[in-house]
Amino acid sequence: MHPFQYQRAESTDQAVAAVAQNPGATFIAGGTSHVDLLKEGVHRPTLLVDVSALPLQQITPLAGGLRIGAGVSNTAAAYHPTIQQQYTAVSEALLAGASVQIRNVASMAGNPLQRTRCPYFRDPTQACNKREPGSGCAALNGYNHVHALFGASTACIATHPSDVAVALAALDAQVQTSGPTGPRTIVFPELHRLPGTTPHLDTVLAHGELITSLDLPAFAGRSHYLKVRERASYAYALVSCAVALEMNGQTIRRVRVALGGVAHKPWRLHKMEAMLAGQVPTEKLFRTAADAAFADAKPLAHNAYKIPMGRNLLVRALLETSGLRPLAGPAGTAFAASVGGMAGQLAGPR
Amino acid sequence: MGRPLLQAVQTGDLAPDGVLPSGSPLSSLRGQPVILAFAPDEWNPMLAHQSTIFARLSQEFGDGAAFVDTATDDWQSLDCRSTLAAQFGVAGQRALFLLDEQGVVRWKTVVSPGQDLQSGQVLTALEALYTSPVTADNEKAASGGLSRRTFVTATLAAAALLLLPGCGSSASDSHTVETAAAGTSSDQVPVVLTINGLSHQLQLDPRVALLDALRENLHLTGTKKGCDHGQCGACTVHLNGQSALSCLTLAVMSQGKNITTIEGLAQGDKLHPVQEAFLQHDAFQCGYCTPGQIMAAAALLQDPHTPTGSAVELREAMSGNLCRCAAYPNIIAAIQAVQRA
Repeated sequence: MHPFQYQRAESTDQAVAAVAQNPGATFIAGGTSHVDLLKEGVHRPTLLVDVSALPLQQITPLAGGLRIGAGVSNTAAAYHPTIQQQYTAVSEALLAGASVQIRNVASMAGNPLQRTRCPYFRDPTQACNKREPGSGCAALNGYNHVHALFGASTACIATHPSDVAVALAALDAQVQTSGPTGPRTIVFPELHRLPGTTPHLDTVLAHGELITSLDLPAFAGRSHYLKVRERASYAYALVSCAVALEMNGQTIRRVRVALGGVAHKPWRLHKMEAMLAGQVPTEKLFRTAADAAFADAKPLAHNAYKIPMGRNLLVRALLETSGLRPLAGPAGTAFAASVGGMAGQLAGPR
Repeated sequence: MGRPLLQAVQTGDLAPDGVLPSGSPLSSLRGQPVILAFAPDEWNPMLAHQSTIFARLSQEFGDGAAFVDTATDDWQSLDCRSTLAAQFGVAGQRALFLLDEQGVVRWKTVVSPGQDLQSGQVLTALEALYTSPVTADNEKAASGGLSRRTFVTATLAAAALLLLPGCGSSASDSHTVETAAAGTSSDQVPVVLTINGLSHQLQLDPRVALLDALRENLHLTGTKKGCDHGQCGACTVHLNGQSALSCLTLAVMSQGKNITTIEGLAQGDKLHPVQEAFLQHDAFQCGYCTPGQIMAAAALLQDPHTPTGSAVELREAMSGNLCRCAAYPNIIAAIQAVQRA
């Protein structure tokens, strides 16, 4: 591990100033992902500014919506009654991710800022433009089974790993930040970047810009998160899907859909959303929409399996959200959010 | 009157002759390499984890060397308050000496009371010592070097030494224990940790994970290092009553939190119900993941949110704790027994 100094921030302003004035500085909150990157030598900061004790730990009502403080733990957010009932996809995404131990410590702002799980990024002996700009991409002609279908570049084919980021993107959450040039608001789908020629930049956040809260706008529909993993629990998504659905009688008033595990950011399906608006939900409609959504997917050597998997997942998530198919477990839990494995076993004898 | 007491024997010196607990002179072991481990007399080599390591040492060393042993053939350390310890200049200290066939000290390490032996430090010393390439398994290396077997054995012996409790005054005499890490770097910072109700003042590099501070600095080795990357759960502790991974938590960031380790779970001699249930239900085989499993389960039973009403829900909630022996059915049975009680 590269040597670093450590400093506990006394206030948001002080934290921002401490990082902004030092190019080698970075924030640390829960550290559940960050400490691992320090150990791997992927992150090599010279100063860690600890923001975990800042008073950003509250969940408060906000103009029909909800403000989640940046430092709220994943556990506290997942089991918050309003989130579980009104923003179900957020709870489902959180509880289908990581383990109890990690969720207890990981922060809500830190979770969407996780770095990719691309194995080449995490191995400093491999070429990786995200870790070391200009060094190349070992994944491009490597074993790229967990890599992107959409929006990739020749510089980087990594995917974004966060589950909850996908749910927040579907719900159009707003990111409040405090930075060297003052506060600003970023709409969630615009927080993360596509790799282009600058894959070392995951987000639009400036150096020293600190997320202070995630704001969920008012939402009266149903939302749902569904995830496919390589094992029953405690694994990153191969493909995942978040749906936020608002009905008008028997027809879809508005639906927002984001995919996880297929791009460098939560991948919103705007064209499909427009196509579904005003329609009566049926399996045939969803199947047609899903086929169209994946028509422009660009598979790599080892990830073409994600296309049928993603199409089927998308159809199932839409069916479950619209009530045409029952959830695999209680809404707002990991069981509703998981495909295979333990999902569905709850129905059996206890 | 011979060698003055407390003048430490140096590498390259001919080892002083002295009387072993068996009554034989140390020089009677000439002709084979010898490892001398000095430790407190309360150390009991028959404790399971210690005897396992010494059995392994015995195997590695084969017939080419000897530990100082008793008539019962049990590997045993030498009392650090014995005359022999004084003759080696290490009275009251944890120390390890490696003697070659001629009785010359080839390597030594001493851990003063209140100090820690860092495993990295030992390995660096051993690597420096191991100067000659391995030519063939079990073959003596060129002059001055150690054979691979000796090197392996010395490494294991050093590892064994790390497990020995501190010599001199007992740490439990005081509620505040000062521990200075060996090989101090200029970047160390004061860190105060509250562990199992006791406050510990440490000087730590900010890079030190809570797991390593517990194990290496405070000798609370019940918390296990499995993967060291947050994938296995062996290092699970409680932070303010909630389960957390000590390998992904910097020690310096754990200040001000109530840290509970497996050592702090029992109430005196009365085991925690989860510990008792793991025994009753045979919820382990090798036992390495067990402290983490128990800590995760104990926190879960106090957790007002995570659903644990069925075996499936328990399995989901315990999915952060891996068990390579696959004792999962018994682990779930043990937790359910506590729930029913």
